[in-house]
Amino acid sequence: MSSLLRSLRTPRGFSAPAFLAYLAVIGLVALVPQFSRKPLILHMWIMVFLAIAQGSAWNIVGGYAGQYSVGHAAYFGIGAYTTMLLLELHQIAPWYGIGLSMLNAVLLSVVIGSITFRLRGPYFVLASISMAEIIRLAALHFKDLTRGAEGILLNGIPPLETPWFTVKFLGKVPFFYTSLGLAVIVISVTWFVQHSKLGYTFQAIREDQDAAHSLGINPTLHKNLALMLSAAFTAAAGSLFALYVRFIDPNIAFGIDVSVQMVLICIIGGIGTILGPVVGSVVLVLLSESLRNPKWLVQAGLLADSSPTVAFIEARLSNAHVLFYGVLVVVVVLFAPEGFLGLLRTAVARVKKRLAAKPTPPSQPAAAA
Amino acid sequence: MSAFLEIKNVSKRFGGLAANSDVSFDVGLGEIVGLIGPNGAGKTTLFNCITGFYAPTSGDVLFKGVRINGLQPDAVCRLGMVRTWQKVRPLAKMTVLDNVMVGALVRTHSLRVARQVAQEQLRVVRLDHKSHFLAGSLPIGERKKLEVGRVLATKPELLLLDEVMGGLNQAESEEIILLILELKKLGLTQVVIEHDMKAIMRLSDRLVVLNSGEKLAEGSPTQVATNKDVITAYLGEAVDA
Ligand SMILES: Nc1ncnc2c1ncn2[C@@H]1O[C@H](COP(=O)(O)OP(=O)(O)OP(=O)(O)O)[C@@H](O)[C@H]1O
Ligand SMILES: [Mg+2]
Repeated sequence: MSSLLRSLRTPRGFSAPAFLAYLAVIGLVALVPQFSRKPLILHMWIMVFLAIAQGSAWNIVGGYAGQYSVGHAAYFGIGAYTTMLLLELHQIAPWYGIGLSMLNAVLLSVVIGSITFRLRGPYFVLASISMAEIIRLAALHFKDLTRGAEGILLNGIPPLETPWFTVKFLGKVPFFYTSLGLAVIVISVTWFVQHSKLGYTFQAIREDQDAAHSLGINPTLHKNLALMLSAAFTAAAGSLFALYVRFIDPNIAFGIDVSVQMVLICIIGGIGTILGPVVGSVVLVLLSESLRNPKWLVQAGLLADSSPTVAFIEARLSNAHVLFYGVLVVVVVLFAPEGFLGLLRTAVARVKKRLAAKPTPPSQPAAAA
Repeated sequence: MSAFLEIKNVSKRFGGLAANSDVSFDVGLGEIVGLIGPNGAGKTTLFNCITGFYAPTSGDVLFKGVRINGLQPDAVCRLGMVRTWQKVRPLAKMTVLDNVMVGALVRTHSLRVARQVAQEQLRVVRLDHKSHFLAGSLPIGERKKLEVGRVLATKPELLLLDEVMGGLNQAESEEIILLILELKKLGLTQVVIEHDMKAIMRLSDRLVVLNSGEKLAEGSPTQVATNKDVITAYLGEAVDA
């Protein structure tokens, strides 16, 4: 386990054991629906996968390039709306729609990037928030295009016909696999970013933009590149989310809590790392879904059907997830600034140190002198 | 035949403050030019104007015969001129090796090549034993060396060093002096800002003195050391201080 963590952490090298472990985990997770098709359990997995896709997408521009956008709802929403509108109004199947929604988000990111990247630090954060808010208000206002606050309800998704098989988008299982696929794609893209010149460039800009600039890096260009990549995958997640819940309105798709959640996933898990958003997504989704919908705990067999805990959560805590987010962030920022992943690393390092220290006799002089 | 670097009547104003006024001098290929002057004389500002961080209010900068004011710093770096920072700017959460690789990646897309170049440069500045330390964990002396190693990795033709000896002890300074002289032997042109008079006299082929943004004197180290205006400027500062 510790060697796995270390090899994943060794910043830039392909590690065969880590890669095999990655494939094995994907394989195991992909088997889940073969064992349990309880809808609430599958729902949890789907929410985790979508959160991983969103968090990892944000991580490219936020974690690697260090540009803390709190306006990613803009790309999530544009993805959701593009796919839904194409499907509902023009009967364009979502597998084309998702591609177009990603393209749309990239175009939007170029516009937003060229405005907001003139600013740095907190000013950039505020500008990114306001961009997403402008788009949310526009979506509420231009009813002819978006149907405004009424939202868009999806009637049905056409089956996907391939020469080999046909997928009907009924129930949770197809969404389990599509969202898992998206999560795997975004994690892999992050890996390639970290292990390429692009990753070095992004990190250099994050650490010190002026130093990067003096060393031959064009910060404006690369911040925009990071944002474009990030926006494309955020839009893909938005599209899948919309198809899955079958209803969107401007507050669901463009709301600030969408933006905030993406940032929180990374802060809680470990910002600027490949596994951080994965860990953060698990923590955050478990927490928020347990509060919003504690019945899944019953289906998972963790609580009895008549458990008073379920009744208590439903009665008292169903809207408390935002409060818990807040508390969690404060705790993480104070006690684990590198997220849960950072905690895990420190713990592993400590255990290893202790194991390594044991064989040497205690009479050894300290190396400090 | 024009000089390697030509600074022509460069002025830079910040509101009412003239940080550089009408500064002109040339740097020849392979030369070390020392840039000295009291605190606030405008030395760092001049570096910023030369490397594209500031647009000069007026005047021109020509590098290898090409007018470069108006170019961005990254373009200037790719042309072969790069500066270090007086207030060091390590990429703190990246390793020492990664820091130098960032410099090397200007000239290649291959991480493997960049890693090799970076390892070589780390040996040159004698920091290879710290390759895998986080840059943010280095003490000041090693941070200064990292600054130098990182710019060397960009394969520059002209190096602008802004007080790379500031805050270093005797032994560390000596190391840097020897390094600068070694680089000169390899044909690298350098402009060096330094407060340590002994060091700058030893290093420089020519000295340019700035005072209150203006060029006060220019010449060989001995010429400058005996220049009346220069002595007054420095004594004046000493009395003030
Ligand atoms: N960005 C800026 N905005 C406003 N004033 C500036 C700016 N940069 C420098 N100055 C001013 O320009 C003058 C010259 O500063 P500069 O940093 O170039 O001096 P220096 O010769 O490098 O001094 P030192 O030896 O202390 O490094 C100073 O009065 C400084 O306050
Ligand atoms: Mg200075």
